[in-house]
Amino acid sequence: MANGYTPTVQGTGTKATIQRIGGHLAGMIMPNIGAFIAWGLITALFIPTGWLPNESFAALVDPIIKFLLPILIGYTGGRMVHEQRGAVVGAVATMGVIVGADTPMFLGAMIIGPLAAYLLKRIDALTEDRIKPGFEMLVDNFTAGIVGAAMALLGAWGIGPIVRTITEVAGNGVDWLVSNQLLPVASVLIEPAKVLFLNNAINHGVLGPLGVAQAAETGKSILYMLESNPGPGLGLLLAYLFFGPRPLRPSTPAAMIIHFFGGIHEIYFPYVLMKPRLILAVIAGGAAGVFVFLITGSGLVATPSPGSIFAFLAVTPRGGWLGVIAGILVATGVSFLVAAALLGFGRGARQEAQDETAAETDAQQPVTKEA
Amino acid sequence: MASIESKDIRKIIVACDAGMGSSVMLASQVRKQLKGTQIQVEHTPVNSIPDDADVILCHVGLADRARKSAPGRVLVPFQVFIGDPAVTKLISTIKSGGTVDA
Repeated sequence: MANGYTPTVQGTGTKATIQRIGGHLAGMIMPNIGAFIAWGLITALFIPTGWLPNESFAALVDPIIKFLLPILIGYTGGRMVHEQRGAVVGAVATMGVIVGADTPMFLGAMIIGPLAAYLLKRIDALTEDRIKPGFEMLVDNFTAGIVGAAMALLGAWGIGPIVRTITEVAGNGVDWLVSNQLLPVASVLIEPAKVLFLNNAINHGVLGPLGVAQAAETGKSILYMLESNPGPGLGLLLAYLFFGPRPLRPSTPAAMIIHFFGGIHEIYFPYVLMKPRLILAVIAGGAAGVFVFLITGSGLVATPSPGSIFAFLAVTPRGGWLGVIAGILVATGVSFLVAAALLGFGRGARQEAQDETAAETDAQQPVTKEA
Repeated sequence: MASIESKDIRKIIVACDAGMGSSVMLASQVRKQLKGTQIQVEHTPVNSIPDDADVILCHVGLADRARKSAPGRVLVPFQVFIGDPAVTKLISTIKSGGTVDA
């Protein structure tokens, strides 16, 4: 499927597989973002260093992050595998990993929720045709109860401690990157993966669960900002507005609004995919943004989702606005400059305009054939 | 290649990774443009495209996954989220009553 803008960008089998696995991870988090935002708002407002410190409201913070959010993740993960019954055993099993560890168990919930549901699904398949009429409810309720209880025990005894160790090791790795000022290098991986539609997988599947452990300890985390910074995408779109191929320029202001204010980053991915060398611009912008976040000691209390400027500011801790805004602006500026340079400051646009017209004619042909 | 007469189209699914962001946006645009027809336009995650979808719209970067999750259905991949020629073509084909093919 080639069309007027670019040659075909087809996914390879491997890419689709990674996307699908990542999609499952993100799929457990994203339906629950509303709860994360509720937690983020309560935290930003009422903790002792918040905007309106209030002890009785701040009591909500700990139970929500330790219990409610992991259980929602385990519930949703179970539901993805085996509908409502899977959701229920997923939630019960998640309780096990929560009790088995003292850090917020997002990763544990993402493992044990679907696992418990999968086990129940296999057992349901076994019992389905063997139940005597009238005993369905009894069997269904007890298989779910037994699987839930067993998985909760397994979670508390086995999976919780293992995941706690993994989280600690990963957390130490992140601390090492932060203390050696190496975190900007992460953009080299994050930005290309983003435009291949792994954005949700990275942010909600990997960075979010690590960030929440850090935020629980120190009150904020820079990991939430690595993928979700709207700056690099905005800079890229600005460069397209001024120096991009002329047929594309009119579409960029709307794209900028959707991206920067609406937080739907997907809108700028095609602009990178159609000129892959522009990946360098978003990498540079992303790295510059992370560097500014790092030297200003910035962090967010919760994951900003979607990656809109409004979501960013809503989860910025008191006193953190300067660093956060500076990081976004620097990322925008660097990404814009690099992208503008790579677009030859508009010199290539004339030549490309001719190519566009030629390609457009090709793309129009099937239409006339059909009509 | 799968194809469908535009008069037989009942439901168009716009799919994206999470089924919450870009697909919602494009679905509302397509819905607006198809106002007055009997066609339902909905958005879902690309891994859970419903069985009664007649035409599936998704970004080329996700096309492989859409093919896997809804094999044999008419799939229209597109490149950009605003004013993509493939989307425009789909809508004009539906309005003029032609055949939509993958």
